[in-house]
Amino acid sequence: MRQTVLQTKKLTVSFGGLKALNGLDVQLYEGEFLGLIGPNGSGKTTFFNALTGIYRPAAGSVLLHGNDITGAPPNKVYAYGITRTFQRLRLATSLSVLDNLIIGNQRNLNLGLWHNIFNRKSFKRQLQEQIQISEELLSRFSRDLAVHLFKPVSSLSMIDRRRVEVCRALISEPNILLLDEPSAGMTPDETRALMDELQDWRVKYPSLSIILIEHEMELINKVSDRCVVLNYGEKIAEGRYSEVSMEPGVRAAYLGED
Amino acid sequence: MATNRVVGRPFCGTRVITMPDFKTKLAILLGVALSVVVLYGFLYLEREWEIGALLVMVPLGVYFLRRTNALTYYQHAAREMPRFTWISFVLGAVVLIMLLRHDDFALLMLTTVLLYATVSLGLTIQFGFVGVVNFSAVAFFGIGAYSMAALNQHFVFLPDLLIIFFSGAISALLGALLILPILRTRGHYAALITIAFGILFRTFLEVNDVLGGPQGLKVPALEMFGWNFGNSFPSEMGGGSFYVAYAIVALVLVAIVYLITRLIESSWLGLNMDSVRLDEVASAAFGINGPRWKIAAFMLGNCFAGLAGAVYAAMYGFIAPANFNLSDSLLLVSIVLLGGIGNAVAVIPAAFLIVVLPEKFQVIQEYRLLLFGIVVILILRFRPSGLMPRGLRQYFAGRFG
Amino acid sequence: MDLGFFAQYLINGLVQGITYALVAVGFTLFFGVLDVIKFSHGDVLMLGAFTALAVFLGLDQLASPAWLSLIIMLCIGILAMGLLGALLCKFLVLPLKESPPLNTLLITLMFGSVIREAVRLFFPNGSNPKPFPALLPEASINWGNLNLRLDSVILIITGALAIVVTHLLIQKTRIGLAIRAVAQDEETARLMGIDFKKTVLVTFALGSGLAALSGISTGLYYQEINFSMGLMLGVIGFSAAVVGGLGSIYGAIVGGLLFAFLQTLGAIWFSVPAYKDVFAFAVIIILMAWRPTGLLADRSAERV
Repeated sequence: MRQTVLQTKKLTVSFGGLKALNGLDVQLYEGEFLGLIGPNGSGKTTFFNALTGIYRPAAGSVLLHGNDITGAPPNKVYAYGITRTFQRLRLATSLSVLDNLIIGNQRNLNLGLWHNIFNRKSFKRQLQEQIQISEELLSRFSRDLAVHLFKPVSSLSMIDRRRVEVCRALISEPNILLLDEPSAGMTPDETRALMDELQDWRVKYPSLSIILIEHEMELINKVSDRCVVLNYGEKIAEGRYSEVSMEPGVRAAYLGED
Repeated sequence: MATNRVVGRPFCGTRVITMPDFKTKLAILLGVALSVVVLYGFLYLEREWEIGALLVMVPLGVYFLRRTNALTYYQHAAREMPRFTWISFVLGAVVLIMLLRHDDFALLMLTTVLLYATVSLGLTIQFGFVGVVNFSAVAFFGIGAYSMAALNQHFVFLPDLLIIFFSGAISALLGALLILPILRTRGHYAALITIAFGILFRTFLEVNDVLGGPQGLKVPALEMFGWNFGNSFPSEMGGGSFYVAYAIVALVLVAIVYLITRLIESSWLGLNMDSVRLDEVASAAFGINGPRWKIAAFMLGNCFAGLAGAVYAAMYGFIAPANFNLSDSLLLVSIVLLGGIGNAVAVIPAAFLIVVLPEKFQVIQEYRLLLFGIVVILILRFRPSGLMPRGLRQYFAGRFG
Repeated sequence: MDLGFFAQYLINGLVQGITYALVAVGFTLFFGVLDVIKFSHGDVLMLGAFTALAVFLGLDQLASPAWLSLIIMLCIGILAMGLLGALLCKFLVLPLKESPPLNTLLITLMFGSVIREAVRLFFPNGSNPKPFPALLPEASINWGNLNLRLDSVILIITGALAIVVTHLLIQKTRIGLAIRAVAQDEETARLMGIDFKKTVLVTFALGSGLAALSGISTGLYYQEINFSMGLMLGVIGFSAAVVGGLGSIYGAIVGGLLFAFLQTLGAIWFSVPAYKDVFAFAVIIILMAWRPTGLLADRSAERV
């Protein structure tokens, strides 16, 4: 039996009277690649927002390694080793690739006044260290991109921005990575390339668990170990993609939508 | 194909233009000398046509320097050796003060420029870095000025240097009253809170007799390092107006505040502040505590304003509520905007333009608020990044990109 | 305190409150359609009053009867400010739609300062307060300590009527529907074939017209206007809109009345009259810290 890293129990998020998530039970195992699918507005992104502390759950709980972290603010959630990407990219586009990555590595930075302002030698050492880490990480994803380390993100192509965002989420070596529709705005080839890169990463860090929100069913089929299907904020199916996709409820939810 | 590409080596991410040391230094010194000459011209010349001619020549000169790549070369030089540049400019300013040592009015203007630049550096941290708006800069400047006056009255035994520091601290602490409402609200709402605070501050001073009411307060001259700042320099010391001492104090203040601002910018502190401004939600998802950075920036910026206000009060010898209007806060915001939001260097030429030009052109003195309004509108509309747009973040000299 | 005094305070507060509410409705409208704050609103109000004054001075030469002058002043003042509002929106606000919100805020703030300075410099003897003609009937009823002026009653009714008409315009007409649609969701409104730009321009014209109306009523009530009157009225109107809840017309009314109420309370409590504003603003700042989205509006969390 694999170890459970993250578990939600009866997780509920409501906006006014509307329940965007309704009593959701989801389990994530160590090293697992979990697909989260469902029609538009079924609560997938809301689920991420509730996990990362952007929304406060109205009821239910979130357990990380068995510890209750329900309602923890975003910066705490990050400190627990959960990072995410955003559906609409949220990079600081006027900053360099390096700066964006360093932002992602926040928990390994020394924010002390002495270190930052007065002891510039030790600050310089940490900067050099960060540059090295960033460069290694980027070149693992794309050697071309590593050359652009000091360029502003606004000068990058869409796929490179996605890569930077994924790298920003990975640089702090999290335990759990939440990917919110990384294929949005990319061609199928680009998405495939990104996913291959991600699979390589998993080989190196087998304990990393990933939840992926995705509309491309083929992609989900290819990469995910297991799927959870949401509709109207509730879980309507769970299991391997090949099984889940056959269930009449799931088909109805999708056919009704599309 | 892609794998054959040479991966950029650490620290060599950007193209480095390597220059011999002495050439770099020469370029910087030339830049300083040129600036001193131009500023001296602006401050020394009195006839309007002379100033006008200078005003036409400066953009032409900048254009020429840009065309011949001298400007780019100079910028690289300054990036390569920031410390040398900083020291050269401070010394250049000392030379400028010495050149003007008999000219009361020019020194008064120059000191005002330096003090306004100090406040603008505070604003740079506040809305250039972390993105907290502050339309009551002048209120915090005023708090510093009134603290100076009050502490001098009631705590005569305190050394003036300490009083200046206290004034900055009081400014920062009173500003802390606004932190909760500013943190709880966003954007426009925070703007309203600061505007309301500015109005409150003025009204409070006017109706409250403890601080002199509408008539204001007298402030004694500074006394530091055994020197009474009210005295002019005796002829055996080469002579000079008493303003020389204030100009030097203001110069030291702005130089230190500038250094602090740049060190913050080029560290993780500045990175986190920028990140909060650009996207607070995404920052939070990476552990950045937005409120913490906003509080730090807001208090530090107000502290700068308070320090400048204290020196201002001592120099003018008299302060009244009428010195601290909303339109003056807008003037300070104009300085930051005209220079280029977030660019610390830019506030100094911008403060110079905004303070000195109206004084020199008596014709426009009356129309200056109108003209600044129009200029800022045009800048926002057509060149929102200002005259000297902020560049990419840089941590260390030259090669760190 | 006896009833007469109480009623007197109530009436005075009501005149003030309605004026503030008129300004606040403008802020609420702009915020609704474009998520911007037009900080020049108070100065547009002032310019509206000065325009009306200029029209009056012109008509005075022609010896036009008071009621006719008043109507012409109102029409020209409101229309001119409506036009100005639309122009401001078209040339300064809409082009900055994609830039940081700070820029929009600054550009309108500076536009306000330009209007203010222009009036001070170019209106004949503009830096001094100007007498505003008393065109409303001056009759009044004395009732114990209550001195009920007819002009107060007229101003309260006019203001209330203007707000009701604005409300009906937004709730019942086609353009009102467009305004609501744009306020709800710009993208969807565009897809539904609503002319976004036109709707926003109309909203700005409407709000600025209301500002002119409140400027003129302020002039009629105090019989004096000055170039800097807009600053305070603008800040108060904005505070009222914010405290009520930006985006809600009811909120604007509640906020306007609340501010006038606080000022009246401050005037009763403190012997120094200037403290009433200090008191009112302090309460407003505290209220904003307590309820950042206002008393009535409830804007949901930011979309991620």
